[in-house]
Amino acid sequence: MKASRPIVVVSRDIVLTSDIDRLVRNISSPLFFRDMKSSLDFIYNCNPDFLLLDIAEDRDANVRILNDLKSDPIFGHMSVLAVFPDDCELPAWRELLADDYIRRSMIECELLKRIELSLFRAERIVQINPLTSLPGNITITRQIQNRLDKGEKFGVAYADIDFFKPFNDRYGFGRGDEVLKMVGRLILNMVKEQQPQGSFVGHVGGDDFIYIMDIGVIEETSRKIADYFDKMVGTFYDAEDREQRKIQSVDRAGTGKTFPLMTISIGITHNQHREFAHYSEISTVASEMKHVSKKVAGSNIQMDRRKA
Amino acid sequence: MDPKLLRAQIERIDTLPTIPSVLKKLLAVIENPKVSLTEVGNFIQSDPVLTSRVLKMVNSPIYGFPGRISAVQQALILLGLNVVRGLLLGVSVFEVMQKSMVGLWEHSLGCAIAARIIAKKKNISEPEEISIAGLLHDIGKVVMILRYKEEYEEVIKEAETKDLLIIEAEKSIFDITHADSGSWIAKRWNFPQSLVEIIEYHHKPSLSRSLPMQTAIVHLADLLTRSVGFGFSGDNHVPAVNPAAWELLNLSDADLRDIFDEMDDAFSEAEAFLIGDES
Repeated sequence: MKASRPIVVVSRDIVLTSDIDRLVRNISSPLFFRDMKSSLDFIYNCNPDFLLLDIAEDRDANVRILNDLKSDPIFGHMSVLAVFPDDCELPAWRELLADDYIRRSMIECELLKRIELSLFRAERIVQINPLTSLPGNITITRQIQNRLDKGEKFGVAYADIDFFKPFNDRYGFGRGDEVLKMVGRLILNMVKEQQPQGSFVGHVGGDDFIYIMDIGVIEETSRKIADYFDKMVGTFYDAEDREQRKIQSVDRAGTGKTFPLMTISIGITHNQHREFAHYSEISTVASEMKHVSKKVAGSNIQMDRRKA
Repeated sequence: MDPKLLRAQIERIDTLPTIPSVLKKLLAVIENPKVSLTEVGNFIQSDPVLTSRVLKMVNSPIYGFPGRISAVQQALILLGLNVVRGLLLGVSVFEVMQKSMVGLWEHSLGCAIAARIIAKKKNISEPEEISIAGLLHDIGKVVMILRYKEEYEEVIKEAETKDLLIIEAEKSIFDITHADSGSWIAKRWNFPQSLVEIIEYHHKPSLSRSLPMQTAIVHLADLLTRSVGFGFSGDNHVPAVNPAAWELLNLSDADLRDIFDEMDDAFSEAEAFLIGDES
């Protein structure tokens, strides 16, 4: 597995740095810094995925800077491997915000695999929505951009819930959260059932969800998601509202109004017939398709068939 | 026996075993890599124990839908195929089988089918949910047989010698009935209130406050399934229909004929499915 961004190595030990250079050459071109202070500028600008810190020298100053850095959520995902001399006692981890450690003598046989594992782990668990446990925006962006960079052909679907706000106003946030959890599970399980490998589901936030699938299956899967949504959504209403198939709530201006049961709108786009270079282009088109879909009453999916 | 103590003991039950013939079929379902959610769902909702296992999981506070889900197909969509596979892997069977158990399983399936048919006839909006209530209406019997095997054998003997209904014999020996024990466990496992209520009142449908029609449907489905002799609920004769429930259902002779016709077709299909198990 190759590191997409450079690995940062902080050490003054010439033997160590040349060992590291030789060991990781195949997966990354590492950048070397004498101490944490001189690495900061690069870290702020490039937000690397991996940092290796030699604990042998300048320990206090380096650790202080590292801890400040790691306590900012933006750099929280940066995986830090601390290298300890063989005879050195390990600190309380509370005082050193590392993600893993390694002894100096183990570098030769272990380092490469440790770095690979930590990059792979970071890819898996980055930024999870606490409600649905689905990955959020950073991962979504990365998923789409990686596929574009590799020249893959794929479909992207944007889903959102119609009349979610009046439902939330009528029943409260707790019930609204249940619906969001339901939609997250529904999309995840339908997508994984139809395409177990190479698909992706993310939660943009609120009632917005995104999923990536092969172009050949995404439309059919979306239709199933919409069907199941319609079948399940009644469960989340009180019996009376469910029977009447409408609720009393307030609109954005605060006026009392009648709303239908929630439906789901899904917009789909893909790069079969046209090129997208950047994440934002493809997400803009998917979002446009979703807005087309929202204009139609009831649960609805819209597939992008334009070629320009 | 002291009902409070009984309730405490019953509520401690975490999992119910199924009957051996189901287990064989279950392994075939789990091991099929191409099995679809619909197929797994159809299989699960033919067995009261598998169904209660799935509903227990999806309605647990950990999963996040407490008291919300009463349809198997919905539960599967929310849990996902992998979770359900794992859930089915942990299913056990009764170590010592009473011969009446297979009959009880068939009776439960029959009642599920009949309840769906009647619900459709009455234009109830969610016939699947009533069908599940029909499937689970006697879950209290499974609970009692599992927890109080010897005492329950006495119930059966007492019913036979004194010519009582099972529910009357339960009352005389336990001071509670399977409707009580079933509703306790359903409540304990966070099943939706509607399911708890139907299980609790399927012998006394006029006591149901919020779901009188649904409860009446399961009550009638129970009796019709016995009357055509599909499966064996434990009783040798069929008790009378509750008059208030019958009035509420308001079924014409033609309606009843349709219901019996549809039950006939559906039961022969189910029978083929059950016989397919025996091999």
